[in-house]
Amino acid sequence: METLDAESLAMLEDTLRKTMLSKSGAELDAALAELGWAEMLSEMPDTAIPLVFRLLGETGSHASILNDVLLETIGGLPGGTPPMPYAGGGWVVWERTANAEPTLGGLPLRRVPEGETMRLGDTRRAAGWWLVGTARAMLNLARQHALDRVQFGRPIAQFQAIRHRLAETLVAIEGAEATLGLPGDESPDLTAMLAKAAAGKAALTAAKHCQQVLGGIGFTAEHELHVHVKRALVLDGLLGSSKELTRRAGAGLRARGSVPRLAYL
Amino acid sequence: MSNELFDPATFRTALREWLDENDLTPPPGDQSLDAHQAQHLRVLKALYDADWMRYGWPESAGGLGGPDILRAIVGEEVVGRGLDHPGPYSMLDVLTPTMIDYARPELAAEMVPRLLSGQETWCQGFSEPGSGSDLASLTTRAVQDGDHWVVNGQKVWTSFAQYATRCVLLTRTGGPEVPNHQAITAFFVDLDSPGVTVRPLRTMHDVDEFCEVYFDDVVVPADRMLGRVGDGWKLAMDLLPYERSTCFWQRIAYLYARFDALVDEVKGQGAASDSELGEVYLALHTLRCRSRATQHRLAAGHKLGAETSIDKVLLAGAEQQLFDTVRDLLPGRIELTDDPWRTEFLYSRAATIYGGTAEVQRNIIARRLLDLGKE
Repeated sequence: METLDAESLAMLEDTLRKTMLSKSGAELDAALAELGWAEMLSEMPDTAIPLVFRLLGETGSHASILNDVLLETIGGLPGGTPPMPYAGGGWVVWERTANAEPTLGGLPLRRVPEGETMRLGDTRRAAGWWLVGTARAMLNLARQHALDRVQFGRPIAQFQAIRHRLAETLVAIEGAEATLGLPGDESPDLTAMLAKAAAGKAALTAAKHCQQVLGGIGFTAEHELHVHVKRALVLDGLLGSSKELTRRAGAGLRARGSVPRLAYL
Repeated sequence: MSNELFDPATFRTALREWLDENDLTPPPGDQSLDAHQAQHLRVLKALYDADWMRYGWPESAGGLGGPDILRAIVGEEVVGRGLDHPGPYSMLDVLTPTMIDYARPELAAEMVPRLLSGQETWCQGFSEPGSGSDLASLTTRAVQDGDHWVVNGQKVWTSFAQYATRCVLLTRTGGPEVPNHQAITAFFVDLDSPGVTVRPLRTMHDVDEFCEVYFDDVVVPADRMLGRVGDGWKLAMDLLPYERSTCFWQRIAYLYARFDALVDEVKGQGAASDSELGEVYLALHTLRCRSRATQHRLAAGHKLGAETSIDKVLLAGAEQQLFDTVRDLLPGRIELTDDPWRTEFLYSRAATIYGGTAEVQRNIIARRLLDLGKE
């Protein structure tokens, strides 16, 4: 399973997408386990993490598998729910089953009093892919709405103000994907931190512009947008928000007195 | 020897060693444009004589072969070390591929080494007073007269024309019945031809690199045509991928070098500046990662197109954010002290204008990448 040819990869993507569109939460966890998620994660993480987490974002589904990425890093026992840092210096666990905590958008997160500092590079990268998937989902919804919605006698996609918001969203997403795609050989933690920051920022940018383009309908629970907006807000805060990670990267520069290049040709 | 150097990492290491041993630092003091130009030519000559400037260019044009990425690496080292300014250096990356792709092979073989070795400077005569964002509306005319063409018109924003010996010039050769994109023809024009007048523009940042260039009955031999009649628009479009790959990479190196300087100046200020430094870093890092991916796509043989508008939007945004932050973190510096930060801050205002405005880029992204249809 170490490498997949393009055709097998496309088939896997198709299967995953269909599964995620029909299941969410604990049911999706079970389905992913059946599809070999544990093996994918240990044998081909560089393919599996971007693919699976991006699809979670694109489909708006959710599963507790960020836990697995973190457990893989720290060598924890399968099935565990290690506390993860949350914005503002707090800690949460991502429970394996639905809970009664009122987390925005229905993710089974629960605040816990404390946790242990650990290496979060791969987990941040996974959350980053999830965020850009979420951002792409919002962009697709807003793009389709702009083409369909007629006002003043024409599709609103013809108005430059609308076009530029959507263009701005695509720039943010593509930029974030580039940071996620950088091999972090030299400084994996810093590379992952910046990638998570870029992805969080892209998702928040997408949420802002797409919500505006969708107008009134995007504010209703009848339209799908709100699921993604809420997902973006929660995932941005998880493992450190874009703002926090950016500030931390800035502090690192100040301490070092120079700017690590990180990306080379 | 050369084949080993075709590997980017090996090439970079060898180039760095050479640059460490051969000091090409600009002489201190003189910040005039004339001094920059002298330094530009000095650096090119030294790098050409030592072969570095010949890698990544085909042997047919005096190069030593190897992947395009080697050029980006030379640009990164030269500009990132402050040996040359990004503006003059970028002309190489833009105009050389154009000559190789469009000039007669003998003309390219004769001329390209003169540019790369710092014997000559060339300029790019595209924009006109009436044709900025709408470049295809240009009106400088070329009319055939036997075995030569006669050019009349005016160009503007022509960088470094006052130092240039030649100009890659876009002209209109088609009549009103010919669609814009087939009515344009490019020439390689000697700027010492009778009838050429170059007048530098005074700019707000006091570096007079932009010129107006007037053409009054300028005679250009027919064998100086680049491509064929009507190929000019295609030439202009084909030049963009180079401007937005190797050329952007060295500009990014310049921005990182200036960010290094800022971090060094403010590192004693404490945590208050962390967010602003971090925001700049995130913008530069995002740009650098995107540009790296673009260089790799070019290297893999992909044809670059509208997606490079994303690179351009990221570059302009990061550049202005960097210098806005310089002004915020070094209060009063730009206004009260006459040093390079002032010039650079002011120049950065142009980043969302030149090379296709921020608005034009977003229009391209909306139309071509998001497929939103016509406005």
